[in-house]
Amino acid sequence: MSIIIYLVKKISILVLVLIITLLVTISLLGSTIDKIMVDNIRIQVTNSLSDSISENQRLNQLQDPQERQSIIEEQINIQTKSLGLDEPWYSPKKISNSLIQIATLNLGNSRFFTTNDGSSSVNELIIEKLPNTILLFTTSSITVIVIGIILGSYLAKREGKISDKLVAGLASASLSVPPWWFSMIMIVLFSYLLQIFPARSTPLISPGTPGYIVDLLYHMALPFITMVIIGFASSVYYTKYIVLRVIEEDYIKTLGIIGLPPRKILLKHALKNAGPQLMTMLGIGLTATLGGSILIEEIFDWPGMGNLFYNAVIQNDSPLIIGLVYFFTLLYLLTRLVLDLTLSFLDPRIRTGEE
Amino acid sequence: MNIMKDRLKNYKGGILGFSLLLFLIGITTYTILYIPAKERAEWNNPFFWINYPKNAAPAWVNYFLIPFQQQLPEHKIYSKNEAVTSSFSEIDFKEDNHTFFYDFVYGQFPSGFSIPFSLEFGEIPPAVEISVKRPDGLEFVIYYNSLDSVPSISNDVGGQLSNASNQQHEVSQRVFSSSKEVTDSLMEYADLFNFTISDLPAEKIIFSETDSNKPMKGIYQFIFTTYSFDSDTILKEINLIIEGKVFGLMGTDEFRRDITFGIMIGTPVALLIGVAVASTATTIGLFYGLIAGYKGGKTGTLMVIMIDLFLSIPTMVLFIVLSLNFGSSLLFLIGLFVLFGWPGLALINRTFSVQIKNYPYVEASKLMGESDFKVVLRHIIPQLVPFTLANFALAVPAAILAEAALSFLGFGDPSFPTWGQMLQDAHFSSAEILGYWWWILAPGLMISITSLAFILIGRSLEHRAKLGKKQ
Repeated sequence: MSIIIYLVKKISILVLVLIITLLVTISLLGSTIDKIMVDNIRIQVTNSLSDSISENQRLNQLQDPQERQSIIEEQINIQTKSLGLDEPWYSPKKISNSLIQIATLNLGNSRFFTTNDGSSSVNELIIEKLPNTILLFTTSSITVIVIGIILGSYLAKREGKISDKLVAGLASASLSVPPWWFSMIMIVLFSYLLQIFPARSTPLISPGTPGYIVDLLYHMALPFITMVIIGFASSVYYTKYIVLRVIEEDYIKTLGIIGLPPRKILLKHALKNAGPQLMTMLGIGLTATLGGSILIEEIFDWPGMGNLFYNAVIQNDSPLIIGLVYFFTLLYLLTRLVLDLTLSFLDPRIRTGEE
Repeated sequence: MNIMKDRLKNYKGGILGFSLLLFLIGITTYTILYIPAKERAEWNNPFFWINYPKNAAPAWVNYFLIPFQQQLPEHKIYSKNEAVTSSFSEIDFKEDNHTFFYDFVYGQFPSGFSIPFSLEFGEIPPAVEISVKRPDGLEFVIYYNSLDSVPSISNDVGGQLSNASNQQHEVSQRVFSSSKEVTDSLMEYADLFNFTISDLPAEKIIFSETDSNKPMKGIYQFIFTTYSFDSDTILKEINLIIEGKVFGLMGTDEFRRDITFGIMIGTPVALLIGVAVASTATTIGLFYGLIAGYKGGKTGTLMVIMIDLFLSIPTMVLFIVLSLNFGSSLLFLIGLFVLFGWPGLALINRTFSVQIKNYPYVEASKLMGESDFKVVLRHIIPQLVPFTLANFALAVPAAILAEAALSFLGFGDPSFPTWGQMLQDAHFSSAEILGYWWWILAPGLMISITSLAFILIGRSLEHRAKLGKKQ
């Protein structure tokens, strides 16, 4: 029973956050969206009327352009009224309408950007960029965690060496270095001085052509390496800390007394019990890099959502900004939800206990 | 023994953090005392920086280039007093020479030169000529201009023109090595060179050997001549500026700004943002957490849900959307970081105060009839002080890094130049692709050092803080 309550609580908070974020966005960009939606209706009405002109007897009879114009205006007015666009953005009807529009992914068209196929639909734009963001940030986060688990549990066995201090120092340092600045330094090093990797990470070949995947991965190398370097020290440091705490527990010590080999204890029992905490670490890493992706993708010019968001902000492309805020928030909240759920399955204490 | 060792280790980190902080406070004090506010506001004013070189590397780079014989030219500004003057009179005109001696000893060409001058003249305007005498004896006339009598000669950058009451005209001009007059004049000497000079900038022709396009060392004379036809012509000011490829401790950027200056004026701003945000957020977090933890029950749960809500928001995305509308003010940024900074701190304080609340001595004093206010004030807050101090120190870097990130995205306050804004300028000018590493390295290092100082201090404070179960 408790798991259902826990789930409901978590999901309702996430939905609330989503609504709040969207409300803030709408209230800030609302007036511009209205204008855009009215424009869309105008285009729609004009197109549909001119398409059906040969069939529409009544319009055919109206040779006077002014009269025809007035009919078009009338149609537009009816449609704007029905959508409530004549009211200011802060009217309740309007806000709920906008929320529904966004939630049902009715995001309209971007003003300045197009996909590779030439479509300017916000949905298609985001769907084109989303895989790249997920590709870069999940692979690098998982690599960081794997390095952390291997090095961290290795170091946990031999505590108190110089390597300990080194890892602690590196972890503090990597927390204080802005990842986006480090990215710039990496470009200077690897693109300008050593000329190993390209400075701009957008692949030169268009998607669909044979060598695209190879080219994409080659262009991904530098941002990937950068993010692994930034993340691994903290990951090793915290894994070591988590594993050490688990090893200190009585049941692990008992296993040692029974006579199980230390390697087996570490791999089979200690890491399994450290699972939930390691999951938390992965989750925090993922959600944190998602926010940072805006800067890092921009610097490397990686064709992902963050880069698109930055460019939309620079160009003040409101429909695209709103769509991206929605997707970013959704992605962020879903990551958190998946994490919470996994944790509650791995560690039942979380969902039952108060403190 | 082990504990002692552990203590010492943390102590070391704390000492390092503290000395870094002292270093930053030192820069702040120097900046506030010795750089007047008026000068600090000149960062974004291009005219203030016109006499500085463009994209010059730090001066110490030359020490590393000694073995390669490839030293970069230093920036050199000659004033009027350093010029050797000579004059020559005829019946109907007078010739005045100002000669600058420039000793060129470097392995690479300078990145340009400019000659600003201001003249005062009467009814008949003088003619101005600039020529260069090279160490190999060749002499190039690189600029000739008979000034107009109509006061309309202020076409160059920084040109000023004022009309004195007694019919004295004043004209201020600046001759750049990149100006069309100079390159056109040099074309007349194309035959002297064994290579084509048509695509080269002026400084690569003037300072070049004639056989191949390599820099020629030696003493160059820059001669500035005025031919005047009455006695009213006065040369008020003249400079020769040889634009170097190295300058100062940290070099200059695309807009000729001295990076050392930017680093210095950025320090107080960074510390201000960090400390203001951290102190406000920790105070709010402390009291919010205290109340949520101590009260418990429905109010407590509601307060925790509120924290949860805040912590679930993807801050970076929201920061950008908010800055888009209200951005570009320091106060706004501070408020924004406080708004999203306190919930995390409140959560920590709540956990602690729930723990302390259940300690025997707190329960005892409650049974003895002490009021809630007194219990909190006498027993709980003193216990939380060490943690709060640590939290404060750890909250500073978060604010500094957030400000840097938002400034980098272009939402910084332009009236307070920060390191993040410097990096934004660098990125906009593609500094990382063009290899202007000094422009990127210094601001980022300062951000990192400042964050590191507070993280180290915070960590060592955190290690020492412990909850006391007895009192």
